[in-house]
Parts: sequence; structure tokens; C-alpha cells
Amino acid sequence: MSDDPLLSVRDLTKHYTTSRGGLFSRKTARVRAVDGVSFDIYPGEALGLVGESGCGKSTTASSILRLTEPTAGEVIFNGGGREGAARNDDGTHPNDVTQFDRAELKTFRRDAQLIFQDPTSSFDPRMSVGASIAELPLVHGMTDADRRRAIVGDLLERVGLSAADYDRYPHEFSGGEKQRLALARALVLNPNLLVADEPVSALDVSIQADILALIDDLRTEFGLSVLFISHDISVVRELCDRTAVMYLGEIVEIGPTEAVFENPQHPYTEALLSAVPTPDPRSRGDHIELTGSVPSPSNPPSGCRFHTRCHRVIQPEGMDMEQPVWRRLLDFRERVVAGEIDPEAVRERLRARSGTSVAAGGEIDRGAASDGKSPGADADATAGTDTDDAARVRAAYDLPATVPDPEVERAVADAVAALLSGDGDRAAEGLAEAVTTPCAGIDPELTDHGAGHRAACLRHRPEFDGFDTGPV
Amino acid sequence: MTDEPLLAVEGLRTTFETDSGELVAVDGIDFTVERGETVCLVGESGSGKTVAVESLTGLLDQPPGRIEGSVRLHGEDLTDLSARALRRHRGASIAYVFQNPQDALNHCYTVGWQLVEAIRVHEDVTKAAARARAINLLDTVGIPEPASRIDEYPHQFSGGEKQRVMIAMALVTRPDLLVADEPTTALDVTIQAGILRLLDDLKAEYGMGVLFVTHDLATVSQIADRVVVLYAGTVMERGTVLDVFERPSHPYTRELLACLPGHESGLDGGARGGIAGSLPDPTDLPNGCRFAPRCAYAEAACSAGDQPAEVDLADGHTVSCIHYEPGDGPSVLPAPADSAAEAGESGTPPTGDTG
Repeated sequence: MSDDPLLSVRDLTKHYTTSRGGLFSRKTARVRAVDGVSFDIYPGEALGLVGESGCGKSTTASSILRLTEPTAGEVIFNGGGREGAARNDDGTHPNDVTQFDRAELKTFRRDAQLIFQDPTSSFDPRMSVGASIAELPLVHGMTDADRRRAIVGDLLERVGLSAADYDRYPHEFSGGEKQRLALARALVLNPNLLVADEPVSALDVSIQADILALIDDLRTEFGLSVLFISHDISVVRELCDRTAVMYLGEIVEIGPTEAVFENPQHPYTEALLSAVPTPDPRSRGDHIELTGSVPSPSNPPSGCRFHTRCHRVIQPEGMDMEQPVWRRLLDFRERVVAGEIDPEAVRERLRARSGTSVAAGGEIDRGAASDGKSPGADADATAGTDTDDAARVRAAYDLPATVPDPEVERAVADAVAALLSGDGDRAAEGLAEAVTTPCAGIDPELTDHGAGHRAACLRHRPEFDGFDTGPV
Repeated sequence: MTDEPLLAVEGLRTTFETDSGELVAVDGIDFTVERGETVCLVGESGSGKTVAVESLTGLLDQPPGRIEGSVRLHGEDLTDLSARALRRHRGASIAYVFQNPQDALNHCYTVGWQLVEAIRVHEDVTKAAARARAINLLDTVGIPEPASRIDEYPHQFSGGEKQRVMIAMALVTRPDLLVADEPTTALDVTIQAGILRLLDDLKAEYGMGVLFVTHDLATVSQIADRVVVLYAGTVMERGTVLDVFERPSHPYTRELLACLPGHESGLDGGARGGIAGSLPDPTDLPNGCRFAPRCAYAEAACSAGDQPAEVDLADGHTVSCIHYEPGDGPSVLPAPADSAAEAGESGTPPTGDTG
């Protein structure tokens, strides 16, 4: 590996503007699909980019290749004979892809190639596959048809097909074979960089293994650098030298694959790893469960973007609660403050809960359904006392009957009472003040954990407890 | 409760009339599902898993489809029933959850409207009572703020939440058997873990049997009690999840496990690679073992006659392979030579290596 990275991405940002409100509304919202992503890929290296759907993996790839125009940031590509260029006096870089003109972009796209998830939709069904692949050298100026045919035939053999397949049509190939064709097409211009966007996600596991092995072989044979995008951690683990974990448009952890997966330094990586089913029936259960769903990138959470789902979210100074209780308290606060809890709906839910024993037998204790047919005296929740209702609200949100911290307990009791009396705003005010976490206020920076392993979690700051890698 | 299992399928054979002849999608499979048990049907695309579960309640157009064999639920044979009687069972005693929740929900109606409709089709209750139950069901499947979310439209739910709504809808009738056909394939792993846990919890709560169809062996290992491995419409191997994952015996099961990233079956030392070749043409199935053309252990005898009868290796662990005698352990098959696994096609029978 040489000293200079082949691809150097700095603060890459892609914001989409979407209209909000009605069809003719002028209000706009910014969707921060990619928000300040930086990484390097060295020659011959494979970098994995993992994360849930919607975290901005694919947008990152298409912004690098300028298939979508990035909003800001630099993408410096040192391949294709551009090595060793120095920065201009005004601070711009001659190899910055985001500043390339049409001609430069065309040569850049010869040196950087892309393969997609669905090979079926990326081949023209009315063109023989050979012609599809040979179109690339033609566009880039190779006018000798015989030579094109020879090159394509040779490449087809290198991806495990035969030169005679040149004249066949896409429908004659299976899914795995089509992905081999896509690889042949990506390699026909002898690129330096291959961007593979979920290349094996649509394939059966028996074929997946084949294609991964092929990508790995070709990488060595052609000295390719690979940016490998996948939601499947086990696949990335198999193929990539280094891995970057993305969450809501940001890289939260990056480092050598083994270090990231063996010794994760960000709670999101931990949770992601724990969610991947291991093919071992003896290691069931004990998953870290992420609560809630991925927040909208148009309005990302303040501070650390993961704090709304994090199982290691920090408690304020002086608080010493069991972590799961703290997590549920924060969830409750989040919902109240966001106005998601409609007091009227809370009461309807309580009625539904206590009413089921009358209406149709409990959903939960099905065994008792047969003897639950006589209407109970306290069937109607609204008829119960306030304390009963308060206890039911707490039960519905998995909150303990009393919170160990007296100040927080008072705030929670007030908020529940406010909700029951129909005053959502008062509940939100009280809770927002009493239940806070440093994670919501401070944007964590990437900290170093040796050998290029970096993670962005507040717990790594000296003033907090530190990142416990033991069981949660 | 009688000795009858909840669901007993015997000799299920589903064929389709096509222009290129009779297509055999499912070829005489047997399996049972007990109450409170998860049975996984696992196989590659095209192995007949989905057709098999759709055949249970005749969810196929007939013709061109043709279903033979017997499907007994609580001892009652569903294949004998009239279309009307069968309809009573669909949704009521057997409920389905499919892969794409967005295709199964009507995006023109609120989630609550659709749940209430489902409840009132099956039960004679007032709208208010049905709504209360719908809220409870959403609560049960883990939708936050069920009483407000019930008035939202499907597009306001995320993919995982939509699948939870589909599960809620399947629970409306408190089914005895829940058939889940690739319910988590379209979801992120973090969401998938939650749905798998939900299914497992509900199985215990409702005492249902769960028939889980998937191509993903890692998922199988996390949720199954028993596993049935399908290949080209026939059962290759079956057993408890521990039997199949720790003592895989059929060459196909072994190769499938060896394909998994990070799986060390401990039996084959060979490097990870795919299975050479592809599934046989379902309109022209090979003689003998269906897997023989791709099998590293295939001998001349493998390609003669019918699919070998299932051999009982241990309690309920069976394998359909001529290399096994009753009671044999998985060590009967030696580790395949690397070249044999590569060669794959039937043209090079590696008998010399295995003998």
C-alpha cells in the first residue's frame, strides 16, 4: 500500500430539499441524507460501509461518483494517473471530483465503477450481454470491434463465465450469473475503484458466497480498491479490511474490520452486531434491543444522533438509576415532549386495556379468556380513581411505580397527572426540564482507539464514566 | 388434547400444468407442527417452500395448480373440505403473514379501519368493542401510542411497524397456526431481531404453532424448534435445530451451512464458496436424489430410481441420502475433497475420493 489514499472523502454532505405542507407550499425542509462524512480508501483496500436502510450509505456512494451532486465537501481521487498532485494555492485540490468539469468527469468515471444490487434491471434486455459490456470501451474511444470482443471474452472467462456467452441475452442467465456479468462490465475499463452497492443482497446464500469470493479474487488480481456498501454485517466482515458504520448520515465508528467488530467502541455498532442472527442455535436471546425506529433525517436529534435509541445513554451527574429504567424514562420524556402522547388517546388506551376482559377476553392472558366473560366491577377505567389511572399509565410505558430519584419522581408524577387531566403541554414542560441527558446536548467527536479505530461516543470523554465493553 | 399434532401434512404434492409439461413444485413432503412449536421450512429460492405453505389452505389457483396429499388440522382433513368450509379455516385457525406488508395493507384506509374490519368479519361485536380490541392488538405487537396510531394510514408506519400491524391482523382470530412466509426478509437486521422476538413471545402467549418459511439459515437457528430442509420440492433432512446445525448430515445441508458467513460447521475444512450448479428444472426432475447432480458425494447409485427414503439417524433426525443407514452419525460422510466440491457437475463423479 502506498502512502497516498486512492480516495479521500472529506466532510461530504448531501442535503435534499423537500417541500413541506401542501402541493403549492413554499415551505421547505432539508433532509440531511449525508452530513459530514470523511474517510480514506487506500490502493487495494476494501472499505465496508454498513448501516440500516435510510442511513445514507447509498447517497454517499452516488455523491462520491457525482451521480448526485454533493452539497458540500471534497472527494479527492488520486487514481488513473493523477497521483502526487498537490493542492493549489487557493486551497482547492486538482483531483477534487466535486470540481471536475465534463471531460474530467468522463475520465474519472472510467477509473471508478459501480455495481448495483439488482443485476436484472441494470442490463438492457434487448442487447446481448457482450454488446452491453463492450459498449463501455466504445464510449471511451476503443473503435476496434475485434479488440473489444477479445477483451470482453477474456473478461467473461475471468468472472467464471465463458467467452461464448458474449452473444447471449440477459434473460438466459441466472441471478448469480448476471451479477458476474455486472462485475465483468465494471472491470472492462480496468478501473482503480469499484463501488459495490449491496451487490449480493438479492442473491441466495449459496450464490452469495460465490460472488463474494469472486469479488475478493478480482480485487487481488486487478489491484482494485473497493467501497463495499451493505446492511449485512456478516458479509462486510468477510470481505473488508476496514469498516465504517453509518447512522443518520454520519459515520459513528470506523476502523480495521476486526477491531470494529471484536471491540466495538460505539453503542450503535454494538447493537447492530448484536442484532445480526448468528447461525448458532445455542446463542439465542440476549440481544441488545434498539427501542424506537430510526429518526427522520429531516429533523435529526440534537447532540449525539443516536441518543434517542441508545442503550448506553448517559445519566446526568448525581443520578444513579438502572440503565433500562433510565432508557424508558427518556423514551417517555421524548414522546411527551414531541406531543406524540395525546391525553385523549391515553385514556382510550386505558379503557381498551381494562375493557378487554369484558369485550373479548384478554389479549395477553389468553388462558383466562374463558372465565373473563363476567363484567368486572372496575371494567371502565374512567370510573377508577386517579391513582389507579396513574399507575396504569406508568404500566403502559413500562415505568416503575416510583422512580428512585426523588426529583425525577416528582416530575414524572406531575407529568402523568397533567396527561390524565388533558394538559399535554404542562406535562412536556415539566419533563423536559427534569429529565435530561448530556448526550442530547453535546455533539460527540471521533476519538482514537488505536490503529485508526475511531468512534464518536460521549462516553469516551474523560468527564464521563467511560465506555464499558462488558455486558449491558 | 388428542395425540393428533396441530398440523399434520402427508404426501403433499403440488403440481402446475404448464406449456412445457407438468411442473412439480412440491413433491410429496411430510411434516407436522405441534402447538407452541416453531417449525422452519428452509430452502433456496425455487425449492418449493412458499408453494408448500400456500397449498395448506389451497391458496393457489386450481387449475393450473393441483394439490394432492393430506393436510390435517386437529385431525380434520382440509383437502377434503369444500371451498366454503376451507374459507372458514383461512384466517381463523390458520393465519398468514407474508414478506411484503405494504402489499398486504390497503393504503386507502387507516390501519384501525382495516383491523376493525378484520375483527368484525370474524366476530359479532360492536364497532367500539372492535376498536378497543384493535388498540389492544397494536399494543400487544409493540406499536407505540396505539390509540393515536390506530387512526393513521399505512404510509405513516415504518416497514417494521407495518409488519407488526400484519401480525396484529393475523392474531385477530387467535389462530392455532401462524404461517409466516419470509416475514423479516424485507427488513433491516435491527428491526428483524425485534420481529423475531415478538413472534417468539406471541407463540408462548397464544400457544400457537408457528410455521416459519425462510431462506436464511441464521434466522432459522435463532427461532426454530425443528427444521425441515427442502430442496427441489423434497425433504432432504429434518430434525431439531441442534441436530441440523450441529450434526448436519445431508450433503446439501452441509454445503448450505458452509455458505454462511462466519459459520464453522467443523465438519468440512474446505474454504467457503457457493454450491456449484443450480436447482434442477422443475418440469424435468432428475432421477434419484434431486441433489445428486450438484453433490460432491454422488455415486452412480444416487441417480437411479426415486429420491431415497428418509433414514432415521436419531430421534426424529432423518436424512434422505443413500450413504446413510439407520442410526448412522454424520461422520459417515468424509470431508469432501476440495476438487470434488469445485467440480460439482455430475460429469465428474468423485467416488474415487470418497471411497
